[in-house]
Amino acid sequence: MLPHVDAAYNLARWLTRNDHDAEDVLQDAMLRAYRFFGGLRGEARPWLLAIVRNACWTWLQANRPAELAAVDDEPEADTPGPEALLARELDRRAVNQAIAALPVPFREALVLRELEDLSYKEIARIAGVPIGTVMSRLARARRLLMEALRPAASAPRLRVHK
Amino acid sequence: MRDDKALHAYLDGELDAAASLELERAMAENPALRASYERMRELSAAVREKADYHPAPVRFEVSARRPRTWMLAPAFAMVLLAGIGLGVFLAQPRDDEALGADVVASHVRATLAGRLVDVPSSDQHTVKPWLSARLPFSPPVADLSQEGYALTGARLDYVAGQSVAVLVYKRREHVIDVFVSPAAREAAPSASARDGFNVARFARGGMRYWIVSDLNRNELDDFAKLLAR
Repeated sequence: MLPHVDAAYNLARWLTRNDHDAEDVLQDAMLRAYRFFGGLRGEARPWLLAIVRNACWTWLQANRPAELAAVDDEPEADTPGPEALLARELDRRAVNQAIAALPVPFREALVLRELEDLSYKEIARIAGVPIGTVMSRLARARRLLMEALRPAASAPRLRVHK
Repeated sequence: MRDDKALHAYLDGELDAAASLELERAMAENPALRASYERMRELSAAVREKADYHPAPVRFEVSARRPRTWMLAPAFAMVLLAGIGLGVFLAQPRDDEALGADVVASHVRATLAGRLVDVPSSDQHTVKPWLSARLPFSPPVADLSQEGYALTGARLDYVAGQSVAVLVYKRREHVIDVFVSPAAREAAPSASARDGFNVARFARGGMRYWIVSDLNRNELDDFAKLLAR
């Protein structure tokens, strides 16, 4: 369990978006992890990440309930931007900011997939949602990132609801 | 839309062989679909290469490095339990010594950091359920406001190898930390001082209490008596 403390902190840090709160949440999650150590089944990393994830959501509910306001898990209609995304030319700051701006459920799916390289099944177990929901959230996360990181992203853009 | 989900699944290596073949064929016939996939793949690569990965701060890492044996959880747990059992019988005074140092350290840390409470409340009916929900035991929370000791909240801490509830009271501007954890047997009140703080402790009703404060000795002992009644 403890060898995965970096993964645990990374998740807490991305969900709370600051070091101080991430440390508090991780502290709390570690206490739980110790307490439920007997309940460890299967792989340690998803197990620990599930505990950390729940501690983060509990914390967000208490401290920033607005961030957990219901989001629509259904992907929007495909609206591919015509311009190619030159992702490799993006700077780190822009990427980090765009991820930080994602709604929590999408951010969580993205971090677990891209930074922890977990499978859909593992992410579903950690987030407590069906695999289909993980897929839509990941698709939404990537689409929102793509929009935020478009070369012309600085220009205000109207959202068209169909 | 279905294609869109399939693109993500393909990118993530989650599409089965048949569906992958089908998608590859579709992309070969449809340059727009292919371009859409390329953009997605590029985005995924950018996130992996450029997003910050936050490793745990040192204080978490230290505990992570010590026992790689955590991987041998069952054996370790048994050794731990045996150790605790032995500790109870053989090492009571040393145990108390370590606990005394830990609770004073926790008190100092909380005071320095200005983070005295996780749940700020003067209402025992708020504090108690908050603690019960987070601990494997339910610590009694006394209302001593009539006696001049105002409850300001509670926090969780981890001392001497176990999770404890810390009830925080105030007497004038003095902070009083009460550390509560389960105890097998009763213990008569005793007092000591450490690092300039007054410490009182006793055990009753299945709980062990350690009280730490910079409050004067007499008032702290009064407080301990009120708590123990």
